[in-house]
Amino acid sequence: MNLRRRKNERQSVSERANTTHTRNYPSDFRSTATCGRSKKSASDAVQQKIVDFISTATSSPDEPKFAIPAGLIVAGPSIASHGPFFQRLGQNIKDETNSAYVVLTSGESPNLKTLLKNLIKKVTSHVEDDDDDDLDRPASSRHGPKLLNYDLGHVQEWRKKNRVASIVIAFQDSEAFDAGLLADIVDLFNSWLDRLPFVLLFGIATSAESFEDRLAGRSLRYLEGEKFDVTQSDDIIEKIFSATVASTASRLHVGPNLCRRMLDRQKDHVQNVQDFCDGLKYAYMSHFYASYPTIFLRNGLAFEDLPAEAFEAARNLPSFRRLVEDKLEDGRPGNVRQLLESDQHLFQQITKSMETGQHALSTLSHAAQVLFSIRASLQISPSIRLSSMWTRAAAGDMVGSPILRETMLSIKKISSDKFVDLLAALSSLHGDFFNMDLDTLQQELNSLIEKNDTSAPLRTQHDVRNDSLRTTVVAQKVLLSKHKAALSEQDRAYSDLVGRFHDQLEEYFESAFIDPQSIFLSEVLIYDLKSPHTEVFQPKPRFAIERALATPHDYLGCDCCSGVDGNEAALAATQPATAIVYQMYVESGALINVSDLWSAFNAIAGDGEEDNEPKTMALFQRALAELKYIGLVKPSRKKTDHVSKIMWKGL
Amino acid sequence: MVGTKRRRDDDDSERETPRKLRARIAEFATEEPDTSDAQTPSRRGRIQHLQENGTPRSILKKTGLFNAPNSATPKSTRKLVFETPSKTPQDEPPNGTPTIVRNADRSARRKSNRRILERTLNGAGSDDEALGEEDILAEHILDEEDDDDAVAGAEEAEEKEAPVPDTPSKRGRGRPKGSGKVGRPRKERSPTPPTELPPHEEYFYQNRPGGTKTSNNTLSAQTLLNHDEYFQAMQSYQDRHQPEMDFLLELHSRAYDQWIFELEEGFNVCLYGYGSKRIITEKFTQRLYTHLSEQAQTTGTKKAPKIVVINGYSAGISVKDVLTTIASTCIPAGIKTPNQLASLLDFLLDYLTNNPPAHPVPVILNSIDSPYLRKTPTPSMLARLAAHPAISLVCTADAPNFPLLWDVGLKTQYKFLFHDATTYAPYDAEIDAVESVNELLGRSGRRVGGRDGVGFVLRSLPENARLLFRMLVMEQLALSLMEGGDLAGDDDMQLPLKAKKLTLKHDVPESSQGVEYRVLYHKAVEAFVCSSEAAFRTLLKEFHDHQMIESRKDGMGTERLWVPFRQDELEGLAEDLAGDL
Repeated sequence: MNLRRRKNERQSVSERANTTHTRNYPSDFRSTATCGRSKKSASDAVQQKIVDFISTATSSPDEPKFAIPAGLIVAGPSIASHGPFFQRLGQNIKDETNSAYVVLTSGESPNLKTLLKNLIKKVTSHVEDDDDDDLDRPASSRHGPKLLNYDLGHVQEWRKKNRVASIVIAFQDSEAFDAGLLADIVDLFNSWLDRLPFVLLFGIATSAESFEDRLAGRSLRYLEGEKFDVTQSDDIIEKIFSATVASTASRLHVGPNLCRRMLDRQKDHVQNVQDFCDGLKYAYMSHFYASYPTIFLRNGLAFEDLPAEAFEAARNLPSFRRLVEDKLEDGRPGNVRQLLESDQHLFQQITKSMETGQHALSTLSHAAQVLFSIRASLQISPSIRLSSMWTRAAAGDMVGSPILRETMLSIKKISSDKFVDLLAALSSLHGDFFNMDLDTLQQELNSLIEKNDTSAPLRTQHDVRNDSLRTTVVAQKVLLSKHKAALSEQDRAYSDLVGRFHDQLEEYFESAFIDPQSIFLSEVLIYDLKSPHTEVFQPKPRFAIERALATPHDYLGCDCCSGVDGNEAALAATQPATAIVYQMYVESGALINVSDLWSAFNAIAGDGEEDNEPKTMALFQRALAELKYIGLVKPSRKKTDHVSKIMWKGL
Repeated sequence: MVGTKRRRDDDDSERETPRKLRARIAEFATEEPDTSDAQTPSRRGRIQHLQENGTPRSILKKTGLFNAPNSATPKSTRKLVFETPSKTPQDEPPNGTPTIVRNADRSARRKSNRRILERTLNGAGSDDEALGEEDILAEHILDEEDDDDAVAGAEEAEEKEAPVPDTPSKRGRGRPKGSGKVGRPRKERSPTPPTELPPHEEYFYQNRPGGTKTSNNTLSAQTLLNHDEYFQAMQSYQDRHQPEMDFLLELHSRAYDQWIFELEEGFNVCLYGYGSKRIITEKFTQRLYTHLSEQAQTTGTKKAPKIVVINGYSAGISVKDVLTTIASTCIPAGIKTPNQLASLLDFLLDYLTNNPPAHPVPVILNSIDSPYLRKTPTPSMLARLAAHPAISLVCTADAPNFPLLWDVGLKTQYKFLFHDATTYAPYDAEIDAVESVNELLGRSGRRVGGRDGVGFVLRSLPENARLLFRMLVMEQLALSLMEGGDLAGDDDMQLPLKAKKLTLKHDVPESSQGVEYRVLYHKAVEAFVCSSEAAFRTLLKEFHDHQMIESRKDGMGTERLWVPFRQDELEGLAEDLAGDL
């Protein structure tokens, strides 16, 4: 039933969208571009290191080398990102060094011969002739014997024409290569090293140690390895997250629920940066595709540009209703009337609210970052990722949360040396969205520190070291009493300062951590719908098929198939033939007698007349064939006319 | 009472394997003399005899033992043992474990009963045996219950026991109706399986050892329709859900614009759900075409948009077909494309990178999960193709588990957005219903048109071919007779013909099906059907061509030939052939 409703919803949505999507969507391309950019920047540093390694390895090409320079690139377990990484790396290497770059994967290198063939083909960018096998035979020509097509002599020939400084060969998935093959190839490359300047790169998903273990000592001697740690996908995702979702510059915010969903999926299932970017992109896409009011997100929108429907749509938003109700409670019915009647007035209101809303949301994002950097500089454990902190803030449950309280308490206890670091860290975040008066604090702190003549840092009154416990034994009972040590003059002044800082910060956080859902036009500013996103990225095809067959009514929505005489479970004769057979299939055991299945089917779907039996049989045959096609049954040889069941519903 | 009930339930769900049971019975049988000693020493000789030759037949008579006036039924005995042992001191067996042994005793006896019965009724077969044993286990459990039941008196027990020896001939398969439950409504052991089990429980319930009780009914050869009948029947058939299915299609069609949008954004689209999605892709292709040509008009290009449509379900399609089709669309005719698969893909992708088309080439691939496109290099090649920005892939997947085809890496390359596109439309193009049902039931011999078809083909063949075919049929029949004979044991000779047929129904194991190639060849040479192996091959080839025989290498690597018909059809065939020649 609800599926049907969903479809109906979708229908109206897409009708509206037909007219709008092309217009609205491209306005926020920037975000996805940022996505790619930050992903790139995350691995840039490592790539640069690798490129440097290659250029140093090839700096003196004429010197005799005794080992092949080899880069062990520990790229982490997310194999999906290895491909793009090596592709980008190749680009960088080609751009910055005079090298030939070849990526070999295990799939295309089952044995030494094929590997070499591929290698030669790729290095020389030679399009192989079709009759491949002819080349296997050495055909002598006028210039002496022709080389076999897996002879590295081809590469040597080629290098005579193209003077490259090195030939970089990257084994993208070194774990998947046969260990013997790797040993052979290392051996071979080493013997050619006097003629061909090889540099090897090994992509490693596990660890460099396990890579070493796989190779024999003899091969290892030929390698001169250096290890490179690629930024792991978790960190890249954090970076992307702060650059896109939690960025103050973004105009459309992805809501906390969707974020949590995407992050959890990353953590638990895919570990795939590209997937995360796709998810973000799709979120933006669906936001603009399905809703008319998103047109207001456009920059520099003039009233004349907008059709009347846009305002109508805006008036239908729940947050508009809330706004109106608030205004009525404030006793401003005139204002409400204007909003309802005049598009012009509404437009002004919207423009204003958009601005304030954007500002509020950006402040929220920024406050999350401030909180994060405070925690980072105070080294409060457990360290919480920015993404999860932001998600909590965006869900509106940061105020009064343990994280915030804990952080504020540790600020109270801060010692002067740490306070300096903290102010320094915060000053980099100072800006529109964080305008606390840090300078005066800094100055006061500096003067206090100057006055401080002891080497110990200044402490506040809340610092534990200023507390002392006194035990007194009274009538055989131990009494514990806390005593504040007497504070020095400077410490008192310092405590005052920290107290002020604490209060200001608390005030800031309280004003910044609002509930984003409460602001007007939050539907436009925030995209937080789970519905198309989950189904599109995590489909449940098996469930869909089982549902379609077990309860066809859910999809068909007909009047006839919802059970017999109010009994939901009963098989209705009107259901599609395959559904009937499937439901009998679900009830039966691991081995099914087709003859009995047929008689049961005939009893339900047939009308008892002899003449119509072929028709029923045809339906039965079709249903059975469909079950086989979908992969639910397979032939069984245990008994005649039996089939075995392969899938159990709901598993 | 509560305790017994629970035990029954437990036993119910954890049936033991037949083998174990048999072992137990043997155990019990050895203990038998001990227990019966005190009661009827006179019968001892017979029981020992039973032990020796292992046939359970003689146990049947032993049932009278419990009705003997001088000894009480085990039930009352047990009661006495616990409550008033002094009354029947002679009943106490020396080893001190009377009830268990006696229970076992009885169940062993009953089991023997059943086995004999079944043997005489329908011959011995492994399946029957397994089922029978199961029933006996049930009985055994019932007995236990009876024994535990302290309320039941000796008289009642006697009443209960009485029908067992009296009614063996009337009983069909299954537990005897009267046994052990006179006047006890709580004992209805209905065969209905427990409902509303959670899925995993249901799996284990349905897969419990010996849990599959299916009848031996078979479909007669006439019941299944052949192609002509099938299409005739289908032509007149009107689906009553047509309006709803149309509406469903209508709903899907509203998403076309969304899908186009998604394609334009560089995603690929994958449709899943029950029902043929060919209709959707067809309509979507139309919509896409109009969309692209409108776009082409606005940008001013003259060329009509090109869309590649590939049917992955068509038999024998390979990734090469896919690639060449795409190449023929994207690459101008003048350019020669490489023949090799990998280089063709590289060439295609290179070409697309260097000469990007005006819009990404839409590739509509029906059934991306078809068996032909599942093998190893194909998914990764398709993924590489789909990952290219100049290709936008729309595909459909029919199997419920299709995402298992792709690992994380491939999934990223595919960049799929999945949409549920359930249509309920019949898979008309994707499957041949008649043929796949025949295959499912191991009746692919129907392809040639059954017996008549074979006769027809044979008539057009030379004498020698007919002789050879008859030889093969006869050999196959003889083989299956032998197999059946082995199972039936020495009783075979006394069985009526009908029973014999029943034993034949049991399929021989797959590996030893058919006649060995060598054996057949030598027979053929002996019968002067052919003089050389080459001639023999030629004759076989003719049969192969008409799909009248099939061959397979068995586990030992020997080639085996057989006629793909079932036993009864084979017999008929043999009769026909004998008549013909």
